[in-house]
Amino acid sequence: MTVSPDNAMTTTDGKAQDHIVKLEDIHLSFGQTQVLKGVNLTVNKGDAVSIIGPSGSGKSTLLRCINALAMPQRGRITVNGTRVDQLTKESERIELRKRVGIVFQQYNLFPHLTVLDNIVLPPTKILGVNRAAAEKLARELLDKVRLSDKANSYPGQLSGGQQQRVAIARALAMKPELVLFDEVTSALDPETVGEVLQVIRDLVRDGMTSILVTHEMRFAEEISDTVVFTENGLIVDHGSPEQIFHTSTNPRIRQFVGGLGARGTVRDGEGI
Amino acid sequence: MQDSSILNTFIAMMDRIGLNYEFLATGYEATIWRDGFITTLYLIALLIPVSLVAGLVFAACLTSGRPFLSAPVRGFVEITRNTPTLVQLMFSFLVLNTFVSNLVGGAQNNPLTPFFWVVAVVGLHIAALHAEAMRAGIEAVPSSMVEAARGMGFSQWQILRHVELPLAFRASLPAIVNNLINLVKLTTVGNAIAVSEITYASIMVWTQRDNVVSLMIVILVFFSAINIVVARLGIWVERKLAVPGYGL
Amino acid sequence: MTATTMTSGPKKQHLTRSLAFVALPLVILIWALTDLSLGRTLVEWIPYLASGFMMNILISLLAMTFGTVIGAIFGILELAPYRLVRYPVVAYVQIFRNAPHLVLIFATTYIFPFEIVIAGNYLPFPDWVKAVIGLAIPASAYVAEITRGAIQSIPTTQWEAAQGLGFSRWQALRYIILPQCVRRSLPPWMNLFSSITMATALASLVGVHELLHAATDASTAVRRIDFTIIAYIVVMAAFFALCYPISRLTRRLERRFNAA
Repeated sequence: MTVSPDNAMTTTDGKAQDHIVKLEDIHLSFGQTQVLKGVNLTVNKGDAVSIIGPSGSGKSTLLRCINALAMPQRGRITVNGTRVDQLTKESERIELRKRVGIVFQQYNLFPHLTVLDNIVLPPTKILGVNRAAAEKLARELLDKVRLSDKANSYPGQLSGGQQQRVAIARALAMKPELVLFDEVTSALDPETVGEVLQVIRDLVRDGMTSILVTHEMRFAEEISDTVVFTENGLIVDHGSPEQIFHTSTNPRIRQFVGGLGARGTVRDGEGI
Repeated sequence: MQDSSILNTFIAMMDRIGLNYEFLATGYEATIWRDGFITTLYLIALLIPVSLVAGLVFAACLTSGRPFLSAPVRGFVEITRNTPTLVQLMFSFLVLNTFVSNLVGGAQNNPLTPFFWVVAVVGLHIAALHAEAMRAGIEAVPSSMVEAARGMGFSQWQILRHVELPLAFRASLPAIVNNLINLVKLTTVGNAIAVSEITYASIMVWTQRDNVVSLMIVILVFFSAINIVVARLGIWVERKLAVPGYGL
Repeated sequence: MTATTMTSGPKKQHLTRSLAFVALPLVILIWALTDLSLGRTLVEWIPYLASGFMMNILISLLAMTFGTVIGAIFGILELAPYRLVRYPVVAYVQIFRNAPHLVLIFATTYIFPFEIVIAGNYLPFPDWVKAVIGLAIPASAYVAEITRGAIQSIPTTQWEAAQGLGFSRWQALRYIILPQCVRRSLPPWMNLFSSITMATALASLVGVHELLHAATDASTAVRRIDFTIIAYIVVMAAFFALCYPISRLTRRLERRFNAA
């Protein structure tokens, strides 16, 4: 796993063939607002990478770039051999999105479908999987997120944490090569945060490549192989959780981690 | 005959309370009147699907994001909403129909009847109202939900088909039912171009019999009954589609 | 890319909206100017058409005035605690809300006499007044529903809060409840206004000299197909010029009230 701040592209471990995601010099602005100002990031297969940093630092936009929901004006994005920045046709982007799962802050389950149908719909409609196979997989995934008994409920009948777990199962139903998590616990009640984090923790342990934008510092420290600190559209620093959370000499990181650390501890401690 | 004796008793009873239904005992006027009801019901039965299908097409154009589709439909929607349907009908019948007649070489060759023009004008007018309701429903679908679907790999069309339309239809159903009630009432404009729906048939009867009040009572009850049925059907569909825990 | 579509969207909409205001008059003007003989005939008939349109406006304003007053009273009566009061009013509202406007115009035109006797004086009862009544009836039924809905939408806690502050029942109604009712019922009332205004064209079918009737008269007199077309476009433009601003304003108010 290698993360390179700014323009210095280096591969310290020399396992270039294992890169599943590689961002090089990504620039993106919405109108006059520069959101990403030259981001470099490399993620290895099977790793969990947490992106932390203050609000408005471009974390969510970064994730959207990997999934082609946002297109950078400059820079190269490679996802498992696909040059994402060169996908101009919607059909090509759809091909990419089939391989890259994304889970959002606002679970965004389809309210008119049952939990089971929410998970069955994407593989049947997008991948053309037959209904029986999709349903079998959906039930396995529901089991995995511990919601087997809710298969026939509607999203509106579930708590936020339960809905978010269904949303994760829905993303997994596409059998993605990696999953992006965009502040998936930020909209949840504190008491349901733990159950969602537990599902992600299991996923990471099973070796699913995961990139998380999160405010849960304790959680990021626990599960990540690498932590990335972003601010003002740039990656300020990256390293092992130990480096970022405990031994960093960067005053901004120390301030940020110190300020949020207490909250992270409290929320994590009671949730699990 | 059992039938006619019941009818005669009815006429006699109504006569006692001052209502005149004598024409029902005559073959000719009774037939005209009955056919008037049938024509109105036929118009309604035809117009409901026509307006819904055209409304869906209009809504698809309005939300397509392509100006060459949305701009003409938007223009049509604004004009039809803000001008009297009767004027639209007169214009279509007197102007467009004349054009068609000239095109096919004389009115005798023109296949378009007044009935057609009522269906076309009222159908498209109500379709425009449906389209507005559906458009509002589609726009009410949270953009984050659409983004999530896109992020999963749904195409634009699949998002419309599986996410936006099912939600938009539920949200716009009350407005659509309201439009259908207006549709039922609007069928009467056919009167202006001699489509023999119920008001036209009634005029034929009451000019002979001078029994306006008697006929009017039946007509009012008739329209109330149809609209109660339409409203009930709407509520039934709404319940059928209701999603637990989702307040649409 | 989201940002760019968001900024260009409203601007474009604004343009099409402004275009909608002038589109029909522009068609009329350009056509009348390119064919001057047509233009001259149209100018000759404009005063006649205008007098017709005045009748539409008169019928509409009167029908809405009566309809609003009677409807507001009926709306309150619909909530009366006595069945004897409530049921007849509810029946009236149900029947006349579901009745086609044209049927009601026919009803008033053919049922009422052409003159009435008051204290031995014969007063004419012209058709346009009958049309006013024919449209005031459905208007009152609609206003009753709007009023009832508005009153019911005010939460009872508002009454309690007002009385808790020491307002009398009348003061609470006058200063707290009614202003909220008016706010909520304004958009549907304006929709009704626009709908009744367009329904005044139906009066032409019972021989009232209004705009559509005037246009038909004019086109029969002139006997030119191009004049017939332009006359009907003028009719549409006139109604559009009246109703489009109302519906624009209604949508703006709806948006603002929904946001609040």
